[in-house]
Amino acid sequence: MPWFEYDDGKKVEVDEDGFIQNPEEWNKELAIELAKTEGVEEMTEDHWKVANYLRDYYLEFGIAPMIRKLCKQTGFTLKQIYELYPSGPAKGGCKVAGLPKPTGCV
Amino acid sequence: MSKRPTKLKDISKNTERLHTILSGDLPPLPYPYEDWEDKPISEIPESKRKGKDISLDGVMNLSVPIPKTEGEKAEMVAKFLSGLRKLLTQENNWTFLEPFLLSLDNCVKCNTCSEACPIFEMSGRAEIYRPLFRSDILRRIIKKYLSPTGKLTAKFTGADIDLNWETVARLAQLSYRCTLCRRCAQACPMGVDNGLITREIRKLFSQELGIAPAELHKEGTVKQLSTGSSTGISPVALMDLFEFMEEDITDRTGMNIKIPFDKPNADILLLHNAGEFLSWPENIEAFAIIFEMAGINWTLSSELVGYDSVNYGLFYDDIQLARVTLKHAEIAKKLGVKKVVIGECGHAHKAIMAIGDRIWLDGVNIPRESCFATLEDLILNERIMIDPERNNFPVTLHDPCNITRSMGIIQPQRNIIKKICPQFREMTPHGVNNYCCGGGSGFAIMQSNNFPDWRYQVSGRKKFAQLLNAFTKEEIDSKTNKYVCAPCSNCKGQIRDLLTYYDAWDKVRLLYGGLVELIVNGMTDVREGFLEWEFH
Repeated sequence: MPWFEYDDGKKVEVDEDGFIQNPEEWNKELAIELAKTEGVEEMTEDHWKVANYLRDYYLEFGIAPMIRKLCKQTGFTLKQIYELYPSGPAKGGCKVAGLPKPTGCV
Repeated sequence: MSKRPTKLKDISKNTERLHTILSGDLPPLPYPYEDWEDKPISEIPESKRKGKDISLDGVMNLSVPIPKTEGEKAEMVAKFLSGLRKLLTQENNWTFLEPFLLSLDNCVKCNTCSEACPIFEMSGRAEIYRPLFRSDILRRIIKKYLSPTGKLTAKFTGADIDLNWETVARLAQLSYRCTLCRRCAQACPMGVDNGLITREIRKLFSQELGIAPAELHKEGTVKQLSTGSSTGISPVALMDLFEFMEEDITDRTGMNIKIPFDKPNADILLLHNAGEFLSWPENIEAFAIIFEMAGINWTLSSELVGYDSVNYGLFYDDIQLARVTLKHAEIAKKLGVKKVVIGECGHAHKAIMAIGDRIWLDGVNIPRESCFATLEDLILNERIMIDPERNNFPVTLHDPCNITRSMGIIQPQRNIIKKICPQFREMTPHGVNNYCCGGGSGFAIMQSNNFPDWRYQVSGRKKFAQLLNAFTKEEIDSKTNKYVCAPCSNCKGQIRDLLTYYDAWDKVRLLYGGLVELIVNGMTDVREGFLEWEFH
């Protein structure tokens, strides 16, 4: 498995698509650096709102929430979420929030 | 890269790559995409592939480790050969031996299969993607290495393939350049099933060499059997999802519906692909609305595996196929249901209804039915009432290969759609001659490395062209909302990705979805506007 390096010397294990392998290693500094790999130069309050919801849901249920629920709970439309995370909630959003890559027919 | 056509023998060559797909080789798309420029299929740097072989075509959806020593090379070949022997014997291949042997024996090399194959056609006729290329390499290996005088006569009988590690590694990759759509089998005058041959090669690699795509195996059947679903949905998460869906039904329709779980002795146990719960909850909600309004005594299961109808074993491994099928059968039996209905998932139809026949025996011989048949009864016999005017927009129907070509279920979904959609039109061709969405056999869920590039540009190209051709120039130009009904989770995922890659929602207003959403959208007892016309 490859490694993702950030902040001069810190590193975490990631899969071939750059999703971190051990969700417990996640922290805010890492999220900011992962965001840059998904075309998000700055993590604004709105970015955090999405990332925090994804992360909290994952910690409670072990999966990413359904997109429709993410939209309803954060108050963003899917279009707005794509504006925040250009590669989409399942890829960019989940990666920044430190979730594993979604699996199954999703 | 030379333009010399690749020959069968090249499979054994110690070259960096057998074939490279160039954007200029890909056939043009119809209006308004004639000038569409595909981005080149991205290269995977060595730092990313780390000792994995991609010497077939530079595309990666399978981890095939490059053997490091002579010993490892020999071991890879030996395992392959012993696995191949097993594929050819009754005691080791209880599932598909007979059609496999007939398909190996009966080919007359007429190449009708090549003309039927959308991957071969839309790759710009790359030799390596001919259905026959893969099958004939296997035939020649069998002839040369598994018949008593094979090696002596190889030169004269045309069985001149060298079985080295390169051949083995490339054959593994080649088995994942076919969607198992079986359009070639439909076309073959001899009944040869190249799709089955491909699937049996995959099985050999999974069961004997431990080589299978992570999406199908580790994150697929293994995860399904341990956590309950390949999506990772646990029973606790399941309840949260359904609580949300019940609220969502109320928001959309004003109706209060309680979705039943684990009801003993129900008339119907409905099995859904759990991917729907996360990506297309409106499909699950629509089923619940229809069944409740029709007064059906139905239930879902909350037991591990019972809430996920998928069985990726169908695509690559008999052992995993049997394990998942057994679970489904046990759950249905325990609940004491009168019949099992399969939701809008193509491969689950085939796994549970057809292939599963040899497992759903004796005490678990419970009738299994396609949801299209169930729904057809409700609509044609007017147990739910529809106002077709509510669906008065252009609609076309995608035929999921496993349901139509593999099982012959063609008319029920058409009888429904013709009754409820006044502007329905068929694609050309359709029914048993349909084209695969390009995401078949699990391709739709393979999102890693550069495989999506190949899936959008090559395997999905024919379907995208067909989708465009289903509508008139006026309809395309007018930007009216158009609906591609794709009643299969895997096909929906692929069509979503195709429409996204080709920017087809913004450009030509093509939306996709299932069949039950159209039904509920037309139901007179449901508030108008179930379909939201938002791309997701």
